[in-house]
Amino acid sequence: MLALTFPPPGGTGREAVSRGKKLFAMTLITLIALIVVSQFTHHADPTGTKTGATADYLAQSGVKKVELSQVGINALANTTGHLAIAINFSWLLITGFLVLFMQVGFAFLVTGLTRAKNAGHMMMMNLSSFVIALLAYYAVGFAFQFGGVSPIANLGGASPLTGIFGHGTAGLIGFHGFFLQSGNSYDVGVLAFFLFQVVFMETAGYIIIGAIAERVSFAAFILAEIAMGAIIYPIYGMWMWGGGWLSQLGNGAFKLGNGAVDFAGSGVVHATGGWAALALAMILGPRIGKYNKDGSANAFPGHNLGYAVIGTLVLTFGWMGFNPGSTFGATDLRISVVAVNTLLAASAGAVVAMAWTNAKWGKPDISMTCNGMLAGLVAVTAPCAFIAPWAAVAIGIIAGFVVVYAVEFLDKKAKIDDPCGAISVHGFCGLWGILAVGIFADGTYPAKSVGWNGVLQPVKGVIPAILDGDKLFATHGAMSQLGAQVIDAGVGFLWAFGITYLIFTIAKRFMAIRVPADVEIEGTDEGEFGQVCYPDFVLRAETHSGITTELDAGRTPSGATTGSSPA
Amino acid sequence: MKIVIAVIKPFKLDEVTAALRALEISGMTLSEVRGYGRQRGHTEVYRGAEYEVDFVPKVRIEVLVEDVDADKVASAITDTARTGKIGDGKIWIMPVETVVRVRTGEAGSDAL
Repeated sequence: MLALTFPPPGGTGREAVSRGKKLFAMTLITLIALIVVSQFTHHADPTGTKTGATADYLAQSGVKKVELSQVGINALANTTGHLAIAINFSWLLITGFLVLFMQVGFAFLVTGLTRAKNAGHMMMMNLSSFVIALLAYYAVGFAFQFGGVSPIANLGGASPLTGIFGHGTAGLIGFHGFFLQSGNSYDVGVLAFFLFQVVFMETAGYIIIGAIAERVSFAAFILAEIAMGAIIYPIYGMWMWGGGWLSQLGNGAFKLGNGAVDFAGSGVVHATGGWAALALAMILGPRIGKYNKDGSANAFPGHNLGYAVIGTLVLTFGWMGFNPGSTFGATDLRISVVAVNTLLAASAGAVVAMAWTNAKWGKPDISMTCNGMLAGLVAVTAPCAFIAPWAAVAIGIIAGFVVVYAVEFLDKKAKIDDPCGAISVHGFCGLWGILAVGIFADGTYPAKSVGWNGVLQPVKGVIPAILDGDKLFATHGAMSQLGAQVIDAGVGFLWAFGITYLIFTIAKRFMAIRVPADVEIEGTDEGEFGQVCYPDFVLRAETHSGITTELDAGRTPSGATTGSSPA
Repeated sequence: MKIVIAVIKPFKLDEVTAALRALEISGMTLSEVRGYGRQRGHTEVYRGAEYEVDFVPKVRIEVLVEDVDADKVASAITDTARTGKIGDGKIWIMPVETVVRVRTGEAGSDAL
């Protein structure tokens, strides 16, 4: 019998010592050379105090010297104005790129929370939602939402976007900017704004994936993305951000606070995605084997909780663009408050979900802690610019409770199968975020001279109004602000849920919106794409008793339309 | 010749391998398996829904030995893989008709 011996890597011991000495000598020579080189250079401006002075102003503005005349002052003012807009463009584009990166986070999150046999399908949905919804938004969605939003002071006006249809100051739909051409919208300001807004729409677009995962047909999903990019998201988004009637509830006959206020889209983006996801999950029905005959729910553990955690952290990082970018400019220094509030709420939400699942179920639940973090982020998205840090923590704590109760309610009571918690996180916590503005806004933002989204008075909610001794029921007072928020939350739900339910109730008469039962059981990777995400692994056997009986019956439990199975 | 098959707790693998190497066995085969014995599975909660972990992850090792070495190998595994708690696993020994080394075609004890 032979005993195995392992020779040390890299030849004999003596050679290794010799090589080690050579490497050490070369490193030493390199360090000495670097020190010698440093003595030959002159220090141009290592502290940065000399770079960016009068000479740079002259080079930028094209004048030869700063003249003490009206002409000279005008030139100075022009350059300063251009500089401010340039700073805001940089801010808007970079925060937009951060929001774009959230797509990566979401792909990780939802793929990790579903089963390995569907991982390719999940990733393909994340990829295709991006490209399809983007083109739909480019063609018509952007014009519907922002065709009449001008002027945007922070971006130099975005002056072509003046096409608005509505009643008085209350807009219903915009119509400049179709294909980024109509209404002379081929313009740097418009396109900078488009980049930031299209990635927001993408967020609403991919939220639905979490709730329809593992059973939706790819064709139906593409239809959902076209609808999201062209209609569902832009119309309600216009009412809130495009000069529409919800944002004008403070004017005219209603005089409700400053009109409905949604800073970065708890409602416009997240609740819209969440309620559309609710409609789709209800029409599709639960996954095969999700519910037993006695109505109790089975767990389908996600195949990679590491993906889910990575995804959550990437989303949190991206949110540093989502919320602070919504000032549309770095010249609005409120961005620091926005960023810190966002992180506070995220952490509070995660801690509550972690502690609550530990108390209730015996151990902290990893995926629910992820959901708790996202719940805090979603909820603080509308109020983040209008609140003090303590309120961000309070909003995050409540969001942590909202999300765990919502997940249990949907799973056990309502029997709506939401594999990744999309409805709970984005729908319920989005709604909470809209209301939170009317409760926690402390009257420090926006500044009267600058404004935000047409709001020229500071927004104040109920709790700070009570603490300050304000009259709650005054015209434009805190209660009327909360009233505007309630209207916004209700309208957002009715629109996103209603229009999505309508579209897919019609669509299921013409197409298979759900994959055939055998494809669902074998895995949507193979059935829908003929390719699997993990071809080198034997996937885990599933032993849910419900599957066989449903296969025998040849139908899916919801009675949703399914296509014929491939031969 | 005999084959010793053992199903053990995965974290005990290194200790068992070291003990078997000390006995100068000629090789071993390893597979990652799942199963249950008298300890049965256990219940966990995922997002609020309970689920049964029916099969617990285990490592299965197989060692081909001369007849005289079988008990020695089995007791080495028993000594190193034991924690004294439920789920420590099982060992079983079976006769082997012959063994062939693929590279040379040697058969029987020479192929071990």
